[in-house]
Amino acid sequence: MNGPADLIFYILAALTVGSAILVAILPNIVYSAIALLFAFAGVAGLYVFLSADFLAATQVLVYVGGILILILFAVFLSHRISDVKLSNPARFHWQAAFICLSLFGVLSYTVVSTSFPVKPGTVYQPSTAEIGELLMTRYLLPFEVASVLLLAALIGAALLSRPEGRKGTSSDMEEPK
Amino acid sequence: MPLGNLASVSRFLPELAVTATILLLVAVHVVGKNRQSSASALLSLAGVGAALLLTALQPSMPAVSLFEGMVALDGFAVFFKALTALATIVVIFMSMDSAELSGKSQAEYYVFLLSVLLGMFLLSSATDLVMLYLSLELVSIPSYLLAGYLKGRKSSNEASMKYVVYGATASGVMIYGFSLLYGLTGTTQIAEIGRALATGKAALPLFLAAVMVAVGFGYKIAAVPFHMWSPDVYEGAPTPVTAFLSVGPKAAGFAVLVRFFYTVFASPDGAGGPWTLSSPVDWTLLFAVLSAATMTVGNLVAVNQKNVKRLLAYSSIAHAGYMLMGFVLLTPAGIQAILFYLVVYLFMNLGAFYVVILVANGTRSEDISDYAGLGSRAPFAAVSLAIFLFALTGIPPFSGFIGKVYLFAEVINRGVYWLAVVAALNSVVSLYYYARIVKVMFLEEPAEKAELAVPAFPRALLCLLAVPTLLLGVYWEPVIRVAANSVRLLAF
Repeated sequence: MNGPADLIFYILAALTVGSAILVAILPNIVYSAIALLFAFAGVAGLYVFLSADFLAATQVLVYVGGILILILFAVFLSHRISDVKLSNPARFHWQAAFICLSLFGVLSYTVVSTSFPVKPGTVYQPSTAEIGELLMTRYLLPFEVASVLLLAALIGAALLSRPEGRKGTSSDMEEPK
Repeated sequence: MPLGNLASVSRFLPELAVTATILLLVAVHVVGKNRQSSASALLSLAGVGAALLLTALQPSMPAVSLFEGMVALDGFAVFFKALTALATIVVIFMSMDSAELSGKSQAEYYVFLLSVLLGMFLLSSATDLVMLYLSLELVSIPSYLLAGYLKGRKSSNEASMKYVVYGATASGVMIYGFSLLYGLTGTTQIAEIGRALATGKAALPLFLAAVMVAVGFGYKIAAVPFHMWSPDVYEGAPTPVTAFLSVGPKAAGFAVLVRFFYTVFASPDGAGGPWTLSSPVDWTLLFAVLSAATMTVGNLVAVNQKNVKRLLAYSSIAHAGYMLMGFVLLTPAGIQAILFYLVVYLFMNLGAFYVVILVANGTRSEDISDYAGLGSRAPFAAVSLAIFLFALTGIPPFSGFIGKVYLFAEVINRGVYWLAVVAALNSVVSLYYYARIVKVMFLEEPAEKAELAVPAFPRALLCLLAVPTLLLGVYWEPVIRVAANSVRLLAF
């Protein structure tokens, strides 16, 4: 594929990577969260590009629409979190940059030098029905196990956000020496 | 040929029993009035007991693949299911006696405990990358909640937070490794990945994938250098949870480590090994170095610890190092030694933590200095702790010695002498810090002379843990036979 399709791909990739870098380096956590929005949207675009329509829609619904809003709420509701000093201070710039760049070098060299088996030509076809069928046949067990995991996570979230009863607190606050 | 979904259900009874208990716990919690009652503990005991019984009755011969190739039912999986269920039962008893957890809401605690158990069942039998990752998360996420269960205690919050951050990073790296493997082979079935890799020659991405997957699994078994979380988590978590994390998820981590690497990066010569490396990546050397580093760091840092839980955390890192020795040998005898060591380790480590709980119930302290004179204040607890500690050191006639003998013998058999020397030196170091606790307990004068009462029920449970610790040191034949029969990985 070449021409306009390639151009769209590079725009999407630049959007994703650029916003991801901003998430990491911006000093204010609110700006980071907004940059994350663009990174998530860029990934959704890449999914569309790979003809993964269902995944792209899920990405928008769950990450852009759900998780990101949640993060923003957490940021806004947290006391004093937007204070730059408390927000996300960065330390060890050079060491971190060295490690990240060398990892990036190894990974990109690996990806470029390896001949991955490539699927010939992308077929743009709706994939939702097929995914639904696979979830009910081949991937039935992971599907069910995911529901147990979600149940445990749900109960955990309820437990963490529930205020402690008056009775429990006294013995609780005590640190073992 | 993998069985279909419906045909698999009848061979999936232990997992179903655990899941049903989880749902029952939720229902009982919603209906019940008293959140602190021990009803949920008893219910979970019944559920896990049923799961253990069903596991024992499960026919593991011949090995089959269930649920369209998602999980395997083989001797190896059955062994780990029984082991983790047994550990969970002991931990439930420990939780009932713990003063830290009394007065807390009970049902959620047991829901998390049983979710981790279900995760460990699936993790030790998963044969598909999707299933493997999901079960790893099913082990991890409720563990984070368990570590932070004492919401009002700062160290518990810190434990949970550190566990989450390290866990998320480790599984992120691991999934990147999975994506490389999937990219190279185009399948998520680990057996098919193994076959596809045996023909290819792509060394660099394979090596990278092996290292990245090792990060995820190494985090679960707390191997150096992925061990940073464990001392803080073990110290801050409620002690029964610490005991559970140091035995259950660690055992499941070893299960998945062996199954994954022996299927993907090695292939068996005949049924049940020995294995040969099937790809150009020599990961055994990598893990041999990790093993030596793990036991050395664990033992050396343990020497200076003042908190018993922290000391036991470093000691459990060191034990993971010993067990890794069996993993790098690619022989059935090596795996058999790991399995036997895990059984022994279950009794001695849970026993040691149980004494820590009983002492903390009385003294509200986990400092080694507060163990002074325990020999006269609570002779029964002190003698049992001495037994567990000597077993952990690996002194004859305790069971830890036999466990180490099997590991060392196989390492020397395969000619990896340097590793055997490192391990032997480490055992000497470990004697120092284990014996120091014993010395404090029996030779130092207590600050407070009052007797520490240990009720009858904890005494009985301590006996149940101490007897196997002693008995397996003199008569270990049946357990080693079971371990030998369990070295049967499902091959396709």
